[in-house]
Amino acid sequence: MVKIRLKRIGAKKKPFYRIVVADGRAPRDGKFIEEIGYYNPLADPAEIKVDGDKAKKWIDDGARPTETVRSLFKKAGIL
Amino acid sequence: MTALLFCGKLHSMFDKITEISLLHDFYGQLLTDRQQQVMKLYHEENLSLSEIAQEFGISRQGVHDTLKSAEKTLTGYETKLGLVTKFKKTDGAVKKIDDIIDRMISEKNIDKVSKNKLNSIKKIIDEINE
Repeated sequence: MVKIRLKRIGAKKKPFYRIVVADGRAPRDGKFIEEIGYYNPLADPAEIKVDGDKAKKWIDDGARPTETVRSLFKKAGIL
Repeated sequence: MTALLFCGKLHSMFDKITEISLLHDFYGQLLTDRQQQVMKLYHEENLSLSEIAQEFGISRQGVHDTLKSAEKTLTGYETKLGLVTKFKKTDGAVKKIDDIIDRMISEKNIDKVSKNKLNSIKKIIDEINE
């Protein structure tokens, strides 16, 4: 199953997250299908960027966002 | 359509993820290997409890308990040592200093010597942040 996840990248003590579309069966090899946005909690105020069209397309195609991503999308007005 | 949002007050769920990730950055090595692995998958790879359970061949409840005890341990270290709180405070202060220097550098009547000195200070600031 294809999932939409938050994936932490970047250095220690600098949490920064990509919103990625990834195959649910291979979640750990670091590969993902597409990056559709990011979440930067250290920006003041915190910053969310999402490509709404891509997000909707993936969800319509059956990709399942995690709980966290679902909340982010709601916040961004996509869901 | 690309939605770009700047949120002052985010849902506490995100604050919690960030908070725990920071705790993990500071004190993670003091946890057991299993606790570290589970936390990494949950907070950095955003896997669900059941996905992690499958990965390790343990119950969902087991994953949940591991996470909770790891979080409790990390919070305990923070209560005693306060490194994350101190880090945030320092980071905030450094950013303010950096902003002020940026403003000084962009002033029209600044002379070259002062500008160079300010740029040297900025380099030092970058090193603190690393």
